[in-house]
Amino acid sequence: MSAYLLRRVGQFLVVLVLASIAVWAMVYALPGDAATVLAGPDASGPQIAATRARLGLDKPVVVQYLLWVKGAVTGHLGQSFYSADSVSHTLAERIPATVQLAVLGMLLALLIAIPIGTLIALRPRSLLARLSHGYLTAGLAIPSFWLALLLIITLAVRTHALPATGDYVNFWQHPVAALRWSILPAIAVAVHGSCIIARFLATSLSEVMQRDFIRTVRAKGVRESRVVIRHAMRNAALPTVTVVGIQLGSLLGGTVVIEALFNYPGLGRLLYTSIGQRDYAVVQGGVLFVVVVFLVLNLLVDLLYAYLDPRIRLA
Amino acid sequence: MRVAGSGRLRPATAEPHPVEEHPGEPALRIDDLVVEFATPAGTVRAVDHVTYQVARGETLAVVGETGSGKSVTVLAALGLLSAGNVHRVSGRAEVGGQDLLALPARERRTRLGADVAMIFQDPMSALDPVQRVGDQIAEALRAHDRALTARTARARVLELLTQVGVPQPEIRYDQYPHQFSGGMCQRVVIAMAIANRPTVLIADEPTTALDVSVQAQILELLRLAARETGAATVLITHDLGVVAEMADRAAVMYAGRIVETAPVARIFGRPQHPYTASLLASLPRLDQPRGRLRAIPGQPPDLRERSAGCAFAPRCPIGGDLPECRTERPLLVPRDDGAVACHHAGQAVTLLPQPGARPSAARPDDAPAVVEVAGLAKVFPIRRGLLARTVATARAVDGVDLRIGQGSTLGLVGESGCGKSTLARSLIRLLEPTAGSIRIDGADLLRANGRQLRRLRQRVQMVYQDPYSSLNPRLSVGDNAAEPLRLAGVPRTERRRTVLELFEKVGLRPEHADRLPAEFSGGQRQRVAIARALAPGPALVIFDEPVSALDVSVQAQVLNLLRDLQDETGVAYLFVSHDLSVVRQMADTVAVMYLGAIVETGAAGQLYRRPRHPYTRALLDSIPVPDPSVRRSRVPLTGDPPDPTAATTGCRFRSRCPLGRDRAACADRTPELRQVDGRWTACHFAEEVA
Repeated sequence: MSAYLLRRVGQFLVVLVLASIAVWAMVYALPGDAATVLAGPDASGPQIAATRARLGLDKPVVVQYLLWVKGAVTGHLGQSFYSADSVSHTLAERIPATVQLAVLGMLLALLIAIPIGTLIALRPRSLLARLSHGYLTAGLAIPSFWLALLLIITLAVRTHALPATGDYVNFWQHPVAALRWSILPAIAVAVHGSCIIARFLATSLSEVMQRDFIRTVRAKGVRESRVVIRHAMRNAALPTVTVVGIQLGSLLGGTVVIEALFNYPGLGRLLYTSIGQRDYAVVQGGVLFVVVVFLVLNLLVDLLYAYLDPRIRLA
Repeated sequence: MRVAGSGRLRPATAEPHPVEEHPGEPALRIDDLVVEFATPAGTVRAVDHVTYQVARGETLAVVGETGSGKSVTVLAALGLLSAGNVHRVSGRAEVGGQDLLALPARERRTRLGADVAMIFQDPMSALDPVQRVGDQIAEALRAHDRALTARTARARVLELLTQVGVPQPEIRYDQYPHQFSGGMCQRVVIAMAIANRPTVLIADEPTTALDVSVQAQILELLRLAARETGAATVLITHDLGVVAEMADRAAVMYAGRIVETAPVARIFGRPQHPYTASLLASLPRLDQPRGRLRAIPGQPPDLRERSAGCAFAPRCPIGGDLPECRTERPLLVPRDDGAVACHHAGQAVTLLPQPGARPSAARPDDAPAVVEVAGLAKVFPIRRGLLARTVATARAVDGVDLRIGQGSTLGLVGESGCGKSTLARSLIRLLEPTAGSIRIDGADLLRANGRQLRRLRQRVQMVYQDPYSSLNPRLSVGDNAAEPLRLAGVPRTERRRTVLELFEKVGLRPEHADRLPAEFSGGQRQRVAIARALAPGPALVIFDEPVSALDVSVQAQVLNLLRDLQDETGVAYLFVSHDLSVVRQMADTVAVMYLGAIVETGAAGQLYRRPRHPYTRALLDSIPVPDPSVRRSRVPLTGDPPDPTAATTGCRFRSRCPLGRDRAACADRTPELRQVDGRWTACHFAEEVA
């Protein structure tokens, strides 16, 4: 176990360094020079040079990178090129909103996916399973933004049941208001995710139900509910955990279109605006956050794998 | 309920087999069972009015090939069929007088694992990989006794593990199935089955997935478990040797029906159904002189095509052309101490092989060598830890010398993990050997590169175990067979001509050459693979377990074919198998492998008659002989086939050897192959093995 754990953490660190280099170097690959842009269209050569010096763009690349890493580790991701706020502060404002939306969206997705996936795997011929299949097909086919528009039109504009825009209210302070303001965007992102997760769960669960050991458990006279929950689910969870991890990662990275549609103050919208403004410091910080979230989730998934599967843990 | 005594199950006495009366109500009665599946091709009747019963203390063997319905019968009876397309299950399945099929699922479940328990074929996949082994056994107890506390359950499980011969039960309880060997897994499954002292024990091919030496141990354990619990035992198997060794009565199934049932002595001595007799005749056997096998022609029946007549008629040497056999289905009627379903039951005995069949002559082994191997070694590194450093090595092949003469057959036998397949693959450099030399037609294979290597590979071809995965499913069988020719640059028209000729030779219809592999049965696919191997006119064909995936009746066809092809073309064979009977049928010379090394090699006849290495001796003793009159009750080898990563000093067989376990010489010196009694044996005490 410890060797497996150490190896995974080691791999995580290596990838993290490589990814951070990529994120940092990304700025150089983009068109337009931040200093030129920032200094304004009429700026003279010396003015641009001064801006460049202020941003640290005149130092050797290695030094620039190391300074950037040092800043990133200590939470100083530099200054936004446009607003007076620091990048860390800008991000810190948006991240809780995105995390709340992502978690809510994922919980909803799981609430839909687990019963549906289980149903399809265990009773594939039942009417409910057929209906669920319809849901999966539709959910995968309908683009999230269109679903979001439908939700806004039906639930907000026509019936006024819910607000048409989303907003961030801290769940722990005002749970009801928080739900009210973020439930529509959460549904919009959950449907797609639930379909993918349900498909994976259904496939792996029905595959596990055909395995020999399930027959052994049944031959022992064990209750069917226990056969499914204790034996089949635990085995089927392995591939499903991976998809859930990836889904959660992309939700935490900010769902740009959904946040834009609902005018939700999350990371996705922040990145979207910042890219438009060529606010590289913010983009860099945001992307770094997204990358780190993905890597950490990956690591967690691998550790969960080891917990669930003794063959990995004890290898 | 407690099993009396807490020690291991032990053989009570050395008596060969107690002949018991089995009076009273049968413990299990299957009555007029019909099972149908809905398929795109229509309704398939997998079990067709099957009736049998077993009394307490009795063992009934149900024998049959793939698709005969032998497993489906019991799975349906216990409500364990999991296929979604079950169309009909009718009839009765009484356990202790109560019909399981009439019970609601909830009540049937209370009987499963308590009154009737099952043991399955592949023990490795029969256990949940993510649950502790001990907990899985405890589950069998707690499912039927809610009041049982975790602590009591654990104590009972430890007792059970001891009984089925799992060492260190305290440690083993908390381990997972992947930490167990196949044999140990099967012991766990058996512990699970006997946990609640069932009255009926059903074992579905319990040893098919195991090595011979382990098979012997498990059969012994099963026998003891049945005796200890007094349960009625149903033993489902395709292996007539196992039947002869274990059962009191046998029921032979074909195409979903019982075609014959009788006490084993009668089944083997005076079979009344032509299928039973043909099966016995098609078996390569160790206890009879080697001769041509009497193969059953054709293929196992396709259940989608139901004929009005006898299902065996198309393959039957007696009734094949008789109108009544083609049009009228024979019913199972009592006859000669049993029952048989045949219009011409009396004639079946004539199909048995006549003693004194002409033994086929062994080929002289002074022919020039096709392949010469010296000091061949293949070492696999085992990587562990943070940096995946090599922490150990597995010496899969450890210094092997061998030689195969033109037109002769070398049989290579050994248990799983002994390195026989690695050796075979190294011979064509599918695996790169670590050390040693290989000469093919005198040319150095290991130094060859590019064009040279390709040319040498044309000289050595290979046929694999599983004909389902060794053919490219997207190429027609003709193109599959032509592949080596295409690689050799033979023009298309010539390829085609050669392939069609080959198809004729291997018993396939040339007009089928454009079909895809999916349309062929296992036996036919193996013929395609054989045609492919012969296509470039090789000097040597390597067969890696070529018949172990095939049914008994088809196996004989393929073995006969291989002999004919060799007589015709003079190609040499390397025949790799775990099945000593099959190897004896094929080989002129035999090499026995253990832990990467050849421990004994010599002329086949001599080696089988008078083995000089204790391992060879033990392997031969482990094989169940299909003759109930020579029934034995012993476990010739203990333990599992060894782990090739374990470093050994001295004799590699020492840990399992009945002779050398405590001898200093065996611990100190690795025995070299030396000439003993006309063959080569690597044992310090070969003279003592008689």
